[in-house]
Amino acid sequence: MDLHILDHRLRVTSISKNGLVHFTHPLIKLIFLRNRTGCKFFSLTETPENYTVVLDEEGFKELQPSEHLQVEGSIWLPLNVVANGNVSSSSQAVGVTKIAKSVIAPLAEQHVSVFMLSTYQTDFILVREKDLAVVVSTLEEEFHIFREVAGESVPLCRQDAHNGLHKNGKEAILPTVHPVLIPQNHFCVMSLDPDTLPSIATTLIDVLFYSNSPKEDAASTPGQELDCVKFFSFSLIDGYISLVMDTEAQRQFPADLLFTSSSGELWRMVRIGGQPLGFDECGIVAQISQPLADSDISAYYISTFSFDHALVSSGAPCWLLRRREFSSDPRHDFASFSVAGDYGRRHVGSGRRTTCSDAQVPEEDIARVTEMLHHQRKDAAAS
Amino acid sequence: MSGSKPDILWSPHHPDRYVICDSELGLYRIGPAGGGGGRSGGETKAGTLPLSEDTAATLLAINSDTPYMKCVAWYPKHEPECLLAVGQANGRVVLTGLGQSHGSSRCKELTGKEFIPKHARQCNTLAWNPHDSRWLAAGLDKHRADFSVLIWDVSRQLSPESTSSAAEKSRVPAAVAADADTAGSAVTKPLYELGQNDACLSLCWLPQDQKLLLAGMHRNLAIFDLRNTSQKTFVNTKAIQGVTVDPHFHDRVASFFEGQVAIWDLRKFEKPVLTLTEQPKPLTKVAWCPTRTGLLATLTRDSNVIRLYDMQHTPTPIGDETEPTIIERSVRPCDSQLGSFAWHPSAQNRMVVVSAANRVMTDFTVFERISLAWSSTASLTWACGRHLYDCTEDGADGGGGGVGVENAIEKDIATKMRQRAQSRYGHDTAQVWRNHLLAGGDDPQLKSLCITYETVYRGPRAEAAGEQTRPSLLWDQGHRQGTTESRRCWSGSERTASAVRYHSEERGLALRLCGWTSRTGVGQEVDAEPFLRSLEQEREWQRAAAVALFNLDIRRAIQLLHNGATTDKGDLNLSVVAMALSGYTDERNSLWREMCSSLRSQLRNPYLLVMFAFLTSEPGAYDGVLYESSVAVRDRVAFACMFLNDTQLPRYMEKLTNELKEAGNLEGMVLTGLTRDGVDLMESYVDRTGDVQTASFCMLKGSPGDVVKDPRVQCWIENYRHLLDAWRFWHKRAEFDIHRGKLDPSSKPLAQVFVSCNFCGKSISYSCSSVPHQGRGFSQYGVSGSPTKSKVTSCPGCRKPLPRCALCLMNMGTPVSSCPGKEAYRLGTGAPLGCGPVWITARIRGC
Repeated sequence: MDLHILDHRLRVTSISKNGLVHFTHPLIKLIFLRNRTGCKFFSLTETPENYTVVLDEEGFKELQPSEHLQVEGSIWLPLNVVANGNVSSSSQAVGVTKIAKSVIAPLAEQHVSVFMLSTYQTDFILVREKDLAVVVSTLEEEFHIFREVAGESVPLCRQDAHNGLHKNGKEAILPTVHPVLIPQNHFCVMSLDPDTLPSIATTLIDVLFYSNSPKEDAASTPGQELDCVKFFSFSLIDGYISLVMDTEAQRQFPADLLFTSSSGELWRMVRIGGQPLGFDECGIVAQISQPLADSDISAYYISTFSFDHALVSSGAPCWLLRRREFSSDPRHDFASFSVAGDYGRRHVGSGRRTTCSDAQVPEEDIARVTEMLHHQRKDAAAS
Repeated sequence: MSGSKPDILWSPHHPDRYVICDSELGLYRIGPAGGGGGRSGGETKAGTLPLSEDTAATLLAINSDTPYMKCVAWYPKHEPECLLAVGQANGRVVLTGLGQSHGSSRCKELTGKEFIPKHARQCNTLAWNPHDSRWLAAGLDKHRADFSVLIWDVSRQLSPESTSSAAEKSRVPAAVAADADTAGSAVTKPLYELGQNDACLSLCWLPQDQKLLLAGMHRNLAIFDLRNTSQKTFVNTKAIQGVTVDPHFHDRVASFFEGQVAIWDLRKFEKPVLTLTEQPKPLTKVAWCPTRTGLLATLTRDSNVIRLYDMQHTPTPIGDETEPTIIERSVRPCDSQLGSFAWHPSAQNRMVVVSAANRVMTDFTVFERISLAWSSTASLTWACGRHLYDCTEDGADGGGGGVGVENAIEKDIATKMRQRAQSRYGHDTAQVWRNHLLAGGDDPQLKSLCITYETVYRGPRAEAAGEQTRPSLLWDQGHRQGTTESRRCWSGSERTASAVRYHSEERGLALRLCGWTSRTGVGQEVDAEPFLRSLEQEREWQRAAAVALFNLDIRRAIQLLHNGATTDKGDLNLSVVAMALSGYTDERNSLWREMCSSLRSQLRNPYLLVMFAFLTSEPGAYDGVLYESSVAVRDRVAFACMFLNDTQLPRYMEKLTNELKEAGNLEGMVLTGLTRDGVDLMESYVDRTGDVQTASFCMLKGSPGDVVKDPRVQCWIENYRHLLDAWRFWHKRAEFDIHRGKLDPSSKPLAQVFVSCNFCGKSISYSCSSVPHQGRGFSQYGVSGSPTKSKVTSCPGCRKPLPRCALCLMNMGTPVSSCPGKEAYRLGTGAPLGCGPVWITARIRGC
């Protein structure tokens, strides 16, 4: 396996919901006029909390500093794992699942914080630039590590990496077990021919910037909001477009332009984190990916400014969580559980419970889930 | 519509059909302009598009069934003829027909078939397998969970998987379950899947084997071997777009990245064998010319020129690392910006070009570069396209041995040199003067040169270096004293001649050098008789007469002219001249003198002319003789030595020398000798004639330290050797090298063959010849005595015993060069080594 350290220096930023209006111009420029900006790595993810924008330094220049713009302080480097063809993986599982054991877990052990960004085309593992030496020394046994410089892949010498190597020698903090939320809506991961991007421009703008408008019109109940978490991700990386949207949003796009798998599989989302996760905690991705890897379930994983989101094939979440079976009380339809395993201690939260709101979950549970989530938010607000 | 870039494909089997694809497929037939259907009236037919002055295209069919077309590949088999595979933006590959499909079952069976990848993404490239037309390779963009190179079997019957997947589709949203009607002919299971989570941007099957596929992946070029799909050969590079195999050289592949084209040799795949100069704009298409080897056409975006690279492998003397010669040029088929081009599969250097906008097509033939070559044997060849024109000089070899005078004048110096080399010109060292006969005997300058050498080397100072003996040196200061004047009588008459003759030892020597006398008489008499006889033999009557006259022997002169007139084929005019001569009177105002001065200018022969000029001129003023350029320089110099006084003589000599140097006249060598002046003279001669052969032979005789080391001389010698090599006159060159080695010992090649000791590896012959072995070893075996008995039984380096000859049991390495009576084989002189080891052993040993 090859590990490529890509030639992008990324910033992770967040635009608050209210502040979006100040950034529509640069965002539209970044999405539709990529020749004007020179930005090669751009990802915009809308979550109910905010808009997470991950972009390279060229693109970052476009964003004016503002009170609505939060910027994570470090430079992040994207890593990409490439099967160099000699390994024909028999396993069908892809994405984070595939690299869980080889990349995610070792990095978690070394206390390297990772920011995952899965796209239709591939998975990017973002690590802080300062952690690079640790990353390289951790992974060099498993991988041929290449550093891309001006488009050429240059094999990385060990000496290069070891200079300035300092172990993230933090005392082993027991990873917090984060609650997860599984919203109702189904998601599609799609792609688009960049040439046809102009033809969906209006829809895309509508979905990205005016997503709240129709909802306000429709008298939506809070319960619906909670069931269906607004999640929309658009990324344009090295000329490849990747879109993650729920089936609701997908209906607005012309049917024949977006690409997806011929099986048309749909995905359910598992949101990790009850309160904003921050960037320093390690092992979150590992917490989720490890069990998935154990059970060979393919997944997408998209980190945002506040939370992490894993996308698993519909049907899988419940199964997954059931398999985890933490204190699954046969009398109760919802399981109060924690994702544990090697990286988490078993945690049965009384308040921070999340439910498995799969399609198979009976309707009456939704009220409970809502209730729980309200509770959770209150906790978050209190803290 | 306008966004998609047009492309052109020629039909693999119909040389007059091609397809343009942009947003739709258009099939065109190309034909002569003005309509071939018999109803031509000079006008183009309705519906035809003029492509060039002579050709026009007719639109045969349009197919717009396949939207979002990304790439097209034409089915390589004859039947069905117009079947195209279209790769779409969503990764599907559709087989579609064009024009009237003749209802063949195969065509029906294939048309409309669709191949659907598991995950939709753009199809970048398609390639039909040239060996097995059922195989179609598709290169797609990357997907995190899917392969990017899919090889479809177009003949595959609908598999149960495909039906099940179609059924599966029915429950997915409308976006995915696209067309239910085509679902019946959809194939979803590829034959091979390659290149996991990587993008494939270009593909091409390798002609060597059916199962080798070259793919330009995202970061590397990879060769997939379908016999073992888990293995691939790959090289990391940026140049991964547009991979294409040279149709003439199956190991050569071109690929590009942005503005740069890389040429790969699959046998040495680690790095490109060469990269072409980078273009400022990104390339859009690179294609090898199918009709000409090594011609690569490239097109960049927004450009109206096609750049051609002509890669020819020429043998390079330096080594393997040198890149092949590339001749780069641009052609401009039309004024508008080009969208794409395609080489015609069979017509020579022909291509059709389509403009970037409006689908304007142009039929264009790249004019072949004309290459011109002189052969070393004076014929000229040029090539244009597939035509080779050979131009041999008429009569170059038809002159019957090449001695015809008129023919020879026109002859090229290369032909002459070649013939002269064959006749061993320059190698007659025993009789140097004969060399001009070897050279053909028709060049008076060469003759003069050879005779000069002959006289110099046979002269009294022959032992001194040649340069010492030259007339002009004789008049340096210090040589002037001792000149005596004399007024002699005309022999055979009592009258005293008006001319004053000068004598000195140096003048006598000069006359000898000029060949007028054969030995320097201490006295004042110059015995010209032997010279006159030789001239008589050579039938140079006029010259002989002139020489006789200058020796004041008018009677002999008349006799010579008379002889000339009476011998067979003699010129009767000579008797007339003799009669005129006999009327000579030294009276100043005689009618004879008057008439001679005015009429002599009508004489054709320079010697006759100077005779009368001499007789009619005032004493001491012989310009009429001295500046008659047709008279041989030697004769003029000799004349000057006889009749110019000590002031006039050096001045004349200097003037003449400069004149001859300027003109590059080899006769001037008698004045300059083999000095730097001589080299100057030879330089202008070589500049004028290109005759490096004569120059080499001539200058080799000069002093090694001064003349031969002159860079010009070395240049001539090297050029002559190269010329001999070019003619493949290996033996002549060897002879020349030997000749050169004799005259210039420094040019001898270093020893190339040694006998080395088995034990210590040191050369045996070398060490025993150069280092006198100290002490014991030799004296012990009696080596110190006579050289013929020299024996070495052990290696002088390590003292281990040397192997013995199988024949005579003498030890190897015993020096044999001193063996009397045997032409010993000398190591290192480049003597032939074509004999067996025993022979060598024997020869080395000298037995």
